[in-house]
Parts: sequence; C-alpha cells; structure tokens
Amino acid sequence: MTRSASTLEKAAAPYAVPVEALTPETQFVSAQGVSKTFEVDGDTVDAVERVDLSIAAGEFVTLLGPSGCGKSTLLMMIGGLETPTHGRIEIGGRPVTGPRPDIGVMFQDSTLLPWKSALDNVLFPFQITGRSTRDHRDRAAALLRRVGLGGFEGKRPSQLSGGMRQRVALCRALIDEPDLLLMDEPFSALDAITRDEMNVVLMDLWQQFRKTVVFVTHSLREAVFLSDRVLVMSRRPGRIIADVPITLPRPRDPSVGESLKFNEICAVLRQKISDAHGHTAAP
Amino acid sequence: MSHTAETMLEVPRLPKTAAAGLRLTLARQILLPGAVAVALIAVWQAAIVLTNFPRVIVPAPSDIALSIAANRLLLLQHSWPTVATAVEGFLISTVLGAVLAIAVVSSRTLRDAVFPSLVAFQIIPKIALAPIFVIWLGTGLESRLAFTVFISFFSILIAMSDGLETVESSLLKLCRSLNATKLRVLVHVQLPTSVPFLLAGMKIAITMAMIGTIVGEFIASRAGLGYLILTAAGRLDTNLIMASIAVLCAWGLLLYGAVELFERTVTRWIGS
Repeated sequence: MTRSASTLEKAAAPYAVPVEALTPETQFVSAQGVSKTFEVDGDTVDAVERVDLSIAAGEFVTLLGPSGCGKSTLLMMIGGLETPTHGRIEIGGRPVTGPRPDIGVMFQDSTLLPWKSALDNVLFPFQITGRSTRDHRDRAAALLRRVGLGGFEGKRPSQLSGGMRQRVALCRALIDEPDLLLMDEPFSALDAITRDEMNVVLMDLWQQFRKTVVFVTHSLREAVFLSDRVLVMSRRPGRIIADVPITLPRPRDPSVGESLKFNEICAVLRQKISDAHGHTAAP
Repeated sequence: MSHTAETMLEVPRLPKTAAAGLRLTLARQILLPGAVAVALIAVWQAAIVLTNFPRVIVPAPSDIALSIAANRLLLLQHSWPTVATAVEGFLISTVLGAVLAIAVVSSRTLRDAVFPSLVAFQIIPKIALAPIFVIWLGTGLESRLAFTVFISFFSILIAMSDGLETVESSLLKLCRSLNATKLRVLVHVQLPTSVPFLLAGMKIAITMAMIGTIVGEFIASRAGLGYLILTAAGRLDTNLIMASIAVLCAWGLLLYGAVELFERTVTRWIGS
C-alpha cells in the first residue's frame, strides 16, 4: 500500500514503468471453455459461448463487440459477479469463486453516492467494508489531483460534469490498489470530446500504475487507442473471433489517431468484425 | 433554415435578476393562493348576507371569525390533546413504517409472507375499524393513538420500501464487488437513498394522522377538537363547529408546513 502511495507522489517521472509489471509472459487472467446461459421467462439465452482467453499481468486488453454480445457478462464473470455455467476462470492462478478485494470495477454510470463529496466517494470502498477512511484521505486527494480534479474534493456529484463524475469513479476503482481493473463501457455515456479526454486521463494513469486492465467497449477507435490487445467478440452468443495485438508505440498521444498505422489497425479490426457478422460495419 | 430565422429575429430578453425571480415566486406561491382564498371567503360572506340564509345552517365567515375570537381559550385548550395525539401518532408511524419497510425489503421471505396481508388490510375502510379499537384498547388515549398510527403508517411503509429498492443495480453490483455485507449496504447506501422517499411519505402521513386523531376523538374522547365539534353539534352551535374546523385546518397546515420545512432542510443537506 505504501509502495504505491509513493508511486503516486513520484508523478514527476510520468512514464516510469515498474519493471515487475512488464513481464508479458506471466499469465494473470485465464478463462477456459467459459459459457454462460441465462434463463429468461423459461427461455434459455446463450450469452457467452466457449470462451478461452489469457491475459498477462500488466496487460491492457479490450473486449470489443456490438451491444448485447455478452462482453459485459464475460467481464462480470471475471470479476466474480456472475458465475459461468460452464468452464473455469482463474486470476493469479486461483479460481474465481466470487468477488475479490483485489479487483477494481468501473461501470458505464458513475454510481456515485449523491450525498457524498467527491473525496468521500473515492473513499467509499473503505467505508462500505468497515475499514478506516482516515488513513487514505491523503491518497484519495492525491488521486483526484492526478486526474485533474484538484480543488473539487468537496464537491457533490450533482456539481460535477459527467466526465468529472467518471474521473471520481476511476479514482474510487483505483483507491484500494487493485491488481486487476475491470471497466464496463466506462465512457460510453459521455460525449465524444469528453470521451477522448477520459481516454487520455486513463492512459496517463495506466502508464504509471501498469495494472492489468480488462476494458469493454463497442467503440473501435477507443479500443485501438487504449489497448495492448483487442479481443473481438461475435454477436450473441458471444465468442472471441479475433485476437488483434495493437503494436502502436507507447506512450500514446491523442494525435496517434491520425497516424496511418492507427487507421490500418482500425481497418483490420473492422474487416474482422464485418467478416464475422456477414456485413460491412459502419466506418 | 430555422437557425437563420432565429438569428434574424432578435428576441428581446427581459432582464431577470435574482430579486425579480424571488418576487415572482413570492407572487405565485403566496399571493396567488392567498388571493383565491380571500376571494372565496368574500363570495361566501356575500352570498350568506345577500340571501339572508339561516346562519344556524351555514354561518358566514364573519360569524366564524367572531366565534374563534370569543372561544379562543376553549379552542386552544382543546387543540392540545388533538395536536399531541396527531404528532405522537405520526412519529410512531414514521418509526414503525420505516422499520417495517427495512424488514420487508431485507427479507424476501418476510416480504412474500407479510406484504399481501398488509395491503389487503389497508383496503378495508379503516374508519369502519375505529369502534373495534375502542373495544380492544378502551376509551383512553391508547385507542386514539393506535388508530392514528394504524391510519398513517402505511404511507410511510410504502414510500420507504420503494425508496430502499430504488438503489441503482450497478451501485449494488459495485457493493457486491467490494464484498460489502448486507447490513453495511443497508446503512451506507440504501437508507440514505430512501430519505427523500421517507420524507414524501411523512408529508402524507401527517395529514392522515390528523384525520385518524379526529376520527378517534369522534368515537371516544373527553377532550380535543373532535370532541369539541361533537359537543357543539349536540347544541346546534354551528359557529363553534366551523370555528373548530377552521382551527383544525390551521393546525393541519402548520404541521404539514413543519414537515415540509424539515424535508427541505434535509434535502438541501443531502444535496441531491
């Protein structure tokens, strides 16, 4: 805990990557033959079908697919919030049997408590599990400053914009220093400009912390900008139909979006999606 | 096209200052309903005076005002038991309704077992049950208080249980991901979320408590505005009946206003 607190303060060296995080051979998250079937009004719906995946420690992996393809379900199964009907998921070599404290989760809506200040919302994970929030106040404030919310610590969610609320939610997901961050379309309710800003904020933070991230989105460009690897999912029942490494150099600047290579990768992904869905995806 | 039309037609804007806004709310919220009430009373007064209507049947507003002035001590003396019973009943209802709501929301089994009966019980015309309360609890304060609670707690129960269940599913998911216990989620998430709902329920409950108390006093009492109305009716003292009703109205408004003030204070403090 103190280790990371000091990392936070070392913001002067922005892209100093801890060496132990950069060992891509270490498998951190794995899924074998994972399927999920829901019962809806007596009908069975296959949400996810025979998914195998392997994510290395410190890797940023995005699940990309159309709405309702089961990518969120897969994410929730990794987080232990849903149980697979078949198959097995492991994190750090241990099977997932339920929610774990070493996983941070972020949702599409910020899910902040309206009666709490930004700072207290960041500290919510401690409060709701009966731990003292006092020892973590400084770190929460530092995190808020880190995402550009210095001076907003005492503001209520209703006084913050949508993008600011998601920044608070991001800080909350990171405050307990999770080894794995699960992000379920965290920016898809934001406007395009705010969304781009949030991508930069997230990248900036991630360059520093280098924790494993599984990110869910239906935006192709967002996936390419953020990820080390994009896993393309098919329509329901969701299967992984392509595994595309994103070889763009890091740290990435928003201007990377105009580069030829970025657009080539987007084209490849778009082709894979349209192959799978049997029609041309919109550009 | 419409855009060009808008830019061409320069719409004159009225200067809107905070003071102007305040004056507008003042006019709308106080002067407008006040003027309507005064107008209605004036029409009533004029109708009685001009038609020479028998005042024993319908007294004029001026008669009622005179009766209030003449009986002010009596009215005040009988206000106390009524207001006290209504407020006590209301407070008990609030606690009882809130506790029941928490119990019902916390346990699926309890909910399925108890909730249908509670609703069915509420469908009975409750006033019809008032004499039963007297048989069970006697003619003292207990039966009036019990009846007041009985008639007013349900709005709290419904509002509060709705409030406890409005917590966003993703927020509950977040709590689950943090391995939070049910009790902590209740205390730190569900209860604060339900506060505005509880307050809305309290506004209904205070008016119901007033009704419950008066009905209770009609059935059995030796004091209170309900008692005063009954005895005045026995003497055909229509002026005093109307005076009592007017005082009752004033107390009702005052209590409702107090709950609303409380609501505003709490809502501002929560800042939702």
